[in-house]
Order: sequence, then structure tokens, then C-alpha cells
Amino acid sequence: MIIEKTIIQSNNQIAENIWKMQFESPQIAEEYAGAGQFVNILPNDDWNHPLRRPMSIASVEDSTLSIIYKIFGDVTEALSKKKVGDAIELLGPIGNVFTKWDSNVFPILIGGGVGLAPILNLKDQCHVADIDYATIIGAKNSNEQFIDHDPENKIYLTTDDGSIGETGTVMVPLDKIITKIDNPHIYACGPEPMLKAIHDFALKNEIPTQLSVESYMGCGIGLCQGCVINKNNKAPKEHSYHEKYSLVCLDGPIYEAEDIYFA
Amino acid sequence: MKRKISILPKNSIEIGQVSFNNPIWVASGTFGYGTEAPELVDVEKLGAIVTKSITLHPREGNPPPRIVETSSGMINSIGLANIGVDKYIDEMLPIYKNVSTKIIMNVAGTDLMEYVEIIEKIESVSSDLVGFEINISCPNVKKGGMEFGVDNSMTAELTSELRKRTDRLLIMKLSPNVSDIVSIGMGAQDAGADAVSAINTVVGMSIDSNSGKSNIYTTYGGLSGPAIKPIGLAAVHKLYQKLSIPIIGIGGIVSSNDVMEYILAGASAVQIGTANYRDPGTGEGIIDELNQTVENSKWDSVKDMVGKAKLLS
Ligand SMILES: Cc1cc2nc3c(=O)[nH]c(=O)nc-3n(C[C@H](O)[C@H](O)[C@H](O)COP(=O)(O)O)c2cc1C
Repeated sequence: MIIEKTIIQSNNQIAENIWKMQFESPQIAEEYAGAGQFVNILPNDDWNHPLRRPMSIASVEDSTLSIIYKIFGDVTEALSKKKVGDAIELLGPIGNVFTKWDSNVFPILIGGGVGLAPILNLKDQCHVADIDYATIIGAKNSNEQFIDHDPENKIYLTTDDGSIGETGTVMVPLDKIITKIDNPHIYACGPEPMLKAIHDFALKNEIPTQLSVESYMGCGIGLCQGCVINKNNKAPKEHSYHEKYSLVCLDGPIYEAEDIYFA
Repeated sequence: MKRKISILPKNSIEIGQVSFNNPIWVASGTFGYGTEAPELVDVEKLGAIVTKSITLHPREGNPPPRIVETSSGMINSIGLANIGVDKYIDEMLPIYKNVSTKIIMNVAGTDLMEYVEIIEKIESVSSDLVGFEINISCPNVKKGGMEFGVDNSMTAELTSELRKRTDRLLIMKLSPNVSDIVSIGMGAQDAGADAVSAINTVVGMSIDSNSGKSNIYTTYGGLSGPAIKPIGLAAVHKLYQKLSIPIIGIGGIVSSNDVMEYILAGASAVQIGTANYRDPGTGEGIIDELNQTVENSKWDSVKDMVGKAKLLS
């Protein structure tokens, strides 16, 4: 893990409110361990917003690293105003990686909202490794989608309003395809309601599932103890530490579904 | 990210019998146990590291969400998540033998005996700790959840019980959520504290206007960061008028100018908290800056300017 001053190579809108940014980041790229890891980004020099923002890594190619971000506040708004050539500080790479995706399993990759980056990253990895997989991407409407609905190639889009792909949540196509697949493994990242639905589905149907969780983060390096998630520990000791809660920055962001729960 | 600096010993300071290379420390709860950050920064440069609060038993802390950013600050409600004193003794004290930075252990308890037991346990083993900072902003379960730090007789009683049990530095950390911080500081001083530190976080709340929900599980949390600097400065200045023991300034420090303000208000040393989350090297950077700022100022050293703020009335 390093703090690296990087240079922005591109910063483009790819769908409504969704942007992609590329950085020249040789040191972090060198340490990068795989899809699922994130960087903690510092968009502003001023102290109106004291904290960094965790952003999942969408790709790493040579010394170029990319993120995909959704504009939902001042900080991401400021990020979208950054120009090619501007310097920006990244802390990373942080976190663990998606595992067990290989030709022995059939990965179902599910992404939604701000959780697209690690899923698209894993999608690229599966593609390169020539593994057969399915992708489900959920969004509010067609304006927020930027890849094609292509059921032939097992790419399913869903929108709340049905403006593209299937109407409803990612659970709609998931329900349909799950029965037709041998040895499915789910890999998901997205807003909490989506992760909760997938979590409950995975446990009910006993499908191995890895969830990349989002958590409000103070530091990203274990100092603040802020970014905890509930661990699925039925019988913690009377006095315990990290048995009921797990630190997303140090132990996550990726968890097996059965190890955590959403309150 | 390592930065090179030269330590100017003229900015060294003394608290009680202990001298510190410089007045820049890192605050409790923002630097772990002092063993986590070395991968990223050169902790040896820091005047001291104050550990996160240690309690008698391990603690899980509060359910999430525990933190939220607010304008120029953040609110936290971690709930004193920590490994507990026994594990601290087994796992952390040995590591400190190889760290040249001075380590101050922050202690928290829910009744007087808990604080006493922790100090006794630490004093029964050999360690390189230079002192204790006592977090008195914890609800006292025996007294109906009232914080030790809101009552000067409770603060004095706690201080004197701990004073009997240790010769190491005893620093009482004061809460700003009180009607009269000076009387509590006086209570600590009269009962034998070597110094007071001020301030801990300020009670705050944050609500998501879209969902209508509280952003913090426990509803109220502690506000920290630049937003509280004026509150910290006023507390330090008020304490400095009445106390003769050193005051350690805390609250919203992000630059060497902030440090200068605290020292002018009456602080002998300062602690950097929230800024470490953004960059754990903040303290290191400030040490560099401060040496330069002092060099360029009319003062000979940090010690010279303590409490020298010019008032207009
Ligand atoms: C996430 C977080 C955890 C903290 N934990 C502790 C703690 O365990 N014990 C303590 O005495 N103070 C704790 N503090 C308070 C800080 O030590 C400091 O007093 C306060 O944050 C004000 O300084 P700042 O504005 O520089 O952050 C914590 C602060 C934060 C933000």
C-alpha cells in the first residue's frame, strides 16, 4: 500500500452520471493483486471534505489504472471536473480480491449503481482467461446503462423502468438463469439493497457467493475502525473484538455471503 | 511515502519529567496502536504517538454506520473498539521495544476500578510506555451513564487514584461537552495530573435528508476535524489562563499554522487526529513546516510562544 501522486490520463462520461477516469499510477499498478481491490482517492486539496473516497479499481493495464464513478455529491462532482494532466493522489491498492473464478465454476457477475467497477474488472479477467460466464447489470433506466443488453452472449441488463433490458432488479434474470447453470458462483457488487437480496438468495439456494461490500470509510488503512460490517457470528464471546464486526478496509471488501449479514 | 526531515532539538518540549523531540503528537483513535502506519510513514519523527483507547476487556464497538463526513469534519461513533488490555500487554508492548517514538497509552473505563485495574496491569509488567492519557469522556455505568469528564469531583477522584499507581506521565483528556472545562481541568491538576489534553470530540448529529435517516447508528457521535478547531482553541486558551500544568491542544489541526495557533493559545504540545485518516504522514509534514515557520518567526522556539496570543481586549 502506497500513497502515490498520479496523473490523470482521461476522464470521460460513459453514461448518465457515470464517469470513467484513468490514471498513470505505476507504483500502485505494480502492487495491484486483482479484481476487487480499491484505491482511496483524494479529489480536493481543501478541507471542506476531509476524507478520501474509496473507489474500486475497474482495470489495470501496464501502469494505467482506471476507476468508474457515479456522481452523487460535491466530491464526485469535483472529480468529474478534473482535467487530463491534473495530478491526483491515490492511496492503494487496498483490500482483497475475488477468488475461485476458474473454468471449474460458472461465474455470474452482478453489478449495479456504484458497484460496476470491480464487476467489469472481473468480467475482463474472465474473458481473458476464456472462462464461460454471465453478466447482469442493474440500473434505474437506460441512460445509466453503457453496455448492450445481449442475452445471446449472457449479458443481461435490467432497469427499474424497463427502458432497456428486463424490467425490475438484477434478481429477475438471476432467477431465470440460475437453474440452467452448472456449478454457478455469484460475484456481486452494488448498493446495499441489491447485495442484501443476492445475499439472501445465495444462502437460500446454497450458491457460493462473493460480495464486494461498500462501507463508509474514514481512512482505508485500519486506523479509524469506522468501516465495519456485521459478521455472521451467532455466538460471539461476551468480550470480543472483531468477532461481531469486520473491518471492510483490512478484511474486505470481498466477503463470502455466509460470513456477513445486512441489518 | 517517506519524507526526509532534520529534527531541530530547539523545538523539543518537556511535559513532567519527559522531554519530547517536538510538540507534534498523533491523537488517540486516529493512529491505531502505533504499529499500523509505519508501512506508510516515518513514525520515528513524531513527538509521540497516543494509542487508541484501551479498555479492561476487548470491545467490539458500536454497530455500523459508525462514521460520516460532515462539513470540514466528520462524526464518529466507534464505541471504543479495541483489543483489551491483556492482549495489548502481550502483543503491543513487545513491539514498542523496537520503536524509538514515545508511546502514550490512552486508557478508557466505565467505572473507576476499570481504569485502576488497567493501570495496575500495565505497571506490573515492564514496558517502554512514557505515560497514560486518560479518556474521561466515557459514560460511567455506575453513575447512570454520566461521563467522568463532566464532573470535576469525579475527574479529581479518578486522577488521584491513578496518580497513586503510576509515576509515568498522567495526562487527563478533557471533553468539550461540559459547562465549565476549566473547573474540570483544575480538578485534574489539583489531584496530581502532569498535564491535560483538550479537546476530545464534540457531540454532533448527521441526518440524510433524502432517506430521513440518521447517518450514525447511535444517533449522536463525536465531531472532529477542522470544524472543531475554534472550539479546541478556546478551550486551550481558557485552560491556560488558570492552570499551571502543560496543556496539550487537540482539535482540527491540519497544518503548521494550526499548530502555531494552538501554541499561541497556550498549548505546549498538540495532537493531530482526523487529518491522519486523509494522510497518516500529516504529522511528519507538519514537523517540517513548523521548524521552518519557527525559523522565520520572531520567536526562538516553540516554547517561547506558548500562550503569547495577543488579545484585543
Ligand atoms: C474515529 C475516531 C476515533 C477516536 N477514538 C478515540 C479514542 O479511542 N480515545 C480518545 O481519547 N479519543 C478518540 N478520538 C478523539 C481524537 O483523539 C481527538 O481528540 C479528536 O478527534 C479531535 O481532534 P481532530 O479534530 O484532530 O480529529 C477519536 C476520534 C476519531 C475521529
